[in-house]
Amino acid sequence: MTATVASAKGLTKRYGSFTAVDAVDFTLEENRIYGLLGRNGAGKTTIMQLLTGQLFPNAGELEVFGRAPAEHADVLRRLCFIAESQRYPEDFMPAHVFKAAPWFFENWDAAFAERLVADFRLPLKRRIKKLSRGQLSAVGVIVGLASRAPMTFFDEPYLGLDAVARHIFYDRLLEDYAEHPRTIVLSTHLIDEVANLLEHVILIDQGRILLDRDAEEVRGSATTVAGARAAVDAFTADRPVIGREGLGGLASVTIDGRLDQAERIRAAELGLELAPVSLQQLIVHLTGTDLAGSTEQEKAA
Amino acid sequence: MTTATATSPVRTEGRSRLNEIWRIVRLHCVNPSIFFGVPWIILGGAWAITVVIAIILTSAGAPVDQVLEGFRYSWAVLSPQWYLVAVGVQAIAFTFSFALGFGTTRRDFWLGTSAMFMFVAVEMAAAIATLVQIEKATNGWWVGAGMFDTLWYGQEGWLVDFYTSFALQMFVLFVGAGVTTIYMRWRMRGMLTLVASVIVILLGAIAAITAADGWMGLWEWFASIGIVGGFTIVLGLALVCAVGGYLVIRRATPR
Repeated sequence: MTATVASAKGLTKRYGSFTAVDAVDFTLEENRIYGLLGRNGAGKTTIMQLLTGQLFPNAGELEVFGRAPAEHADVLRRLCFIAESQRYPEDFMPAHVFKAAPWFFENWDAAFAERLVADFRLPLKRRIKKLSRGQLSAVGVIVGLASRAPMTFFDEPYLGLDAVARHIFYDRLLEDYAEHPRTIVLSTHLIDEVANLLEHVILIDQGRILLDRDAEEVRGSATTVAGARAAVDAFTADRPVIGREGLGGLASVTIDGRLDQAERIRAAELGLELAPVSLQQLIVHLTGTDLAGSTEQEKAA
Repeated sequence: MTTATATSPVRTEGRSRLNEIWRIVRLHCVNPSIFFGVPWIILGGAWAITVVIAIILTSAGAPVDQVLEGFRYSWAVLSPQWYLVAVGVQAIAFTFSFALGFGTTRRDFWLGTSAMFMFVAVEMAAAIATLVQIEKATNGWWVGAGMFDTLWYGQEGWLVDFYTSFALQMFVLFVGAGVTTIYMRWRMRGMLTLVASVIVILLGAIAAITAADGWMGLWEWFASIGIVGGFTIVLGLALVCAVGGYLVIRRATPR
């Protein structure tokens, strides 16, 4: 069995009256690629800052490599976290970052970093303040990959990267991960871009975990049923509906859960079309406006 | 899985605490111009201006000794200090956040930063005390320019100049860094509380001294402790900022 490298129980972080992370429970296992998904402001970065000991939780338990991460050197030196809005020392250039990195990451691979710099065409001698958003993301991606830290965090690594650079990140990550397995936590709201990379998905919205499942399971876990409104309604009547759209007499309903062979045949007989739901579509359904609307209605009721 | 974790923390051989502190010193030095370059560019610029003024004055016919005496109250020697307060602030506001991302503890970051401040203070103090002696020996760089042999400098020898510069440098760096730790921990609310507390304490002290009619006594006491005594108080304040910063930064969070 794989070892658990991080576990949270009832983990909570509040800023005044705002609860950024609301009593979440989850575990991270060794040598897996996790996707921490959710909309902007869902609490993704806060969870990563808690895991790396940068923030102190208000409540709950958190253990990373066997102990609370904050102020424990033996835990922290196995972590690498370059935040999306990372601050760098005054007048720093990418060259300075890569020069200092080997002092902090014992597995640092300078040759790999050099190759990545060339891949991303990152200017080493330009002030970090003057870099474009994509180049700034590249600095974080290169540190994350070349550090080979046992637990590496990528915070919105795709922000500002062009299509070629996104592809390079994708390829290099999978290549290097195959050779040097480690735990990777990747946060993003650009879900389709990373969907195939992820082994496990943790979906977070408004500080709560909506979904914590193996990515393979999630991919087949929802189905969209489309056809005549009456037939669709009859077919989906007693199933968990997570999304609904309609146009005239036609309806398209997304349901949670797999359909077995008999159900598929019945759907075909009713003249209904069944379509798989991509990870991104599923997440839009789970965190999108109609769900938010229903919770607000619940609150109002 | 209910038990916390299966992997236990393993220490790697050859990684001592000293190394974890030393790498912070190195991190501050990755871009050496911050601590070592810019202060000397500022001092060099101030020196050049002082020399030019001295040349103008002496070529206009003023006697060298009088010109030199006129520079006694020049603050040029203190010109890098304003910049170094900002360096102390930036060490915490920017480098701290970065070092946390690279997996250091707050404790080691503060200890490494304190070591760095001490090295900078020793370097600045030794250089300034030596420049005071050179300036005296050359009678103001041969043109009557008084830049270093000014204010309290040049009166009680190299060692006193070294000690006073060291104390001042430590205070300047630690006050910038220490105050910034308060911002990093409590943000704006902490800063406002700090400013308000300092004002209340100062006003309270002024009221108490005035009520006790103690101003004459206070000035006499300051005169009695002398330059060395005065700068020992400055060094004490630096130490308060250093210890306070250590306590505050232990729960500070990056921006």
